[in-house]
Amino acid sequence: MRLLIVEDNIELARLVAASLATAGYETDVVGSVGEARDAVRSVKYAAMILDLNLPDGDGLSLLVELRRRMDPLPVLVLTARDGLQDRVTGLRNGADDYLAKPFAVVELVARLEAILRRPGQLLGSSLNLANLVYDTESRQIFIDGIPRVFSARETSVLEILLRRQGRVVPKKNVEDHIFGLTGEVASNAVEVYVSRLRKQLGEYGAKILIHTIRGVGYLMAEEK
Amino acid sequence: MLRFKSLTWRLVFLHIVAVAVVAIFLPLVLFWLLTSEVNHLHRDAMRDQAGVLGERLAVKPDGSLTLNLPDSLKDLYSEAYGRYQYEILDQSGRVLFSSHKNGEPIVRPDGSPPGAIAGASVSKDVGEQTVRIQVAEDLAHRDVIIDDIIANFFRRVGWITIPVLLILLATDIIIFRRAIAPLVRASEEAKSIGPARTDVRLPTHKIPSEILPLVTAVNQALDRLEDGFRVQRQFTADAAHQLRTPLAILQTRIETLGDDGGTRELHADIESMSRIVRQLLEIAELDTLVLDPSETADLRAVCAEVVGSIAPYALAGSKDIALRGTNDPVCIRGNAEMLQRAIFNLAENAIKYTARETSVDVEVNDDGSVRVRDCGPGIPAGERGLIFQRFWRGDRRRTDGAGLGLSIVREVVEDHSATVAVENLPSGGAQFTLRFQLAGEMPADKRQHS
Repeated sequence: MRLLIVEDNIELARLVAASLATAGYETDVVGSVGEARDAVRSVKYAAMILDLNLPDGDGLSLLVELRRRMDPLPVLVLTARDGLQDRVTGLRNGADDYLAKPFAVVELVARLEAILRRPGQLLGSSLNLANLVYDTESRQIFIDGIPRVFSARETSVLEILLRRQGRVVPKKNVEDHIFGLTGEVASNAVEVYVSRLRKQLGEYGAKILIHTIRGVGYLMAEEK
Repeated sequence: MLRFKSLTWRLVFLHIVAVAVVAIFLPLVLFWLLTSEVNHLHRDAMRDQAGVLGERLAVKPDGSLTLNLPDSLKDLYSEAYGRYQYEILDQSGRVLFSSHKNGEPIVRPDGSPPGAIAGASVSKDVGEQTVRIQVAEDLAHRDVIIDDIIANFFRRVGWITIPVLLILLATDIIIFRRAIAPLVRASEEAKSIGPARTDVRLPTHKIPSEILPLVTAVNQALDRLEDGFRVQRQFTADAAHQLRTPLAILQTRIETLGDDGGTRELHADIESMSRIVRQLLEIAELDTLVLDPSETADLRAVCAEVVGSIAPYALAGSKDIALRGTNDPVCIRGNAEMLQRAIFNLAENAIKYTARETSVDVEVNDDGSVRVRDCGPGIPAGERGLIFQRFWRGDRRRTDGAGLGLSIVREVVEDHSATVAVENLPSGGAQFTLRFQLAGEMPADKRQHS
């Protein structure tokens, strides 16, 4: 899978490329908006890592250009700019995610994979965490390689938490994901499904914890 | 001389002095003018009388002069009446005719009458000789009406100058105030100028032309100051930006080293450095940001996002964080992004100080307040005023912060006309309380006027 890194600092670009290579990605590195524009036209990339401060212009202009011609190329914006409005502007202009410098490469890879696992993207259909594997197409769950059966609702909860593993998923999002936007939802429905899911994961020996962040939502992480 | 701070009072004081001087001298001058006019009238009358006397002079055939006075005139100059006197002298000064018998001259050689009498002297050619006819009036018996007017001048007429001058004074005070009004407005405008509002300029509209150069000079000075501030902020922002890429390189390079001994510490170092850089940028931004007074934010949503973003760090340190209080939106006046930074810094601080296996509570209330509680050592009473200063660190041995977090909180709070309070809980641990203005409420400074 080939990624495009648009970063004018050669040293940083080289290091990021090396780290991504270790994670199994091939990369092309360009250092300007102009070069990036040419590269995107000639090669079909899986995703683009885009710096905003480039010598010949603003990386955002390239992003706006891509989205204007309906190019769905996933873009992860990577920048030293982290101003009040920058993040909002970046995402509104069609960035799929945003990472401020300095960043951990682990985080970069995790964010990239999250983007690539979105429906219609190139990465395989399986989501992994610790000893759990979830196939998004067949909606099958494997713990230590053994297929386990969960109810449809619990599987939905697992999926949304797994997609954003390590990050808090607001309770409202879980609710919407399970029940859609229509229909009455009992106020404690999500709690009920989460506690059932937690119990079953424990029974099957999954090394996974679902943390409740009171008043906010849930966070799925590997058990330490 | 008295020194007045107020220009109005200085002008009024000088004006009062001027009015007082005028109030004293104007009646005196008027009195003097009136007196001299009266004397003038008298002298003219005397001169006329002397003319009448002259016409009664006749030359006898022997060359000597004779004075034929009708009875009416004789009565006028009679000693019994005692008011008027006359003398007719020849060229050598010899008295030819006189209304009185003692023969003393009624007019001195220099023309002024002796004692309390006033008179006039005219020359007349009669036949071949020239005579001088002198007529005098005894002031003790002068025209009573005119004397009354003069005697009562101050009581009857002079007082009118005082109220006239007082009205003038009052009018002038009003004029001064009107003239100074544009300056007062300019000062009001100047009050709003601060590091975050260097774009304000004093209005030059209606400013008197004498003071316009000062206002213009102040505005130009503000231009230069604004430039200075902008360069300073830009420098902070640029410096922070420029530090980020090398930090990213450093971090990535360390990651490629693998998990050898020491990399964990290096990561922690980079993390704290990154935080300082982030906070410097935030401060540079907050300094320039001007809050739109109509902007509103949902305080609960802001807190939910903060708790959500801090939760992974809290869990990583075996700590917990929870959002408590109301479940409904709390709409307050403010910018969501700025509020988020303030509350993030408070929550981040709380997570840092709370003990392992304890929880930090972020509580949102529908009165527009947020409480952030931790289970740490609390904050000594003596330090509570200091913690909001830039680069303040309670524990100098800690190296994981530059002491910028709480100064950001303070700045956001100030920008929002909100308040922040710190206290220690009975159970130990610190509690920070932020109070914002609900969106429906009038801002505190405007409420007083309505």
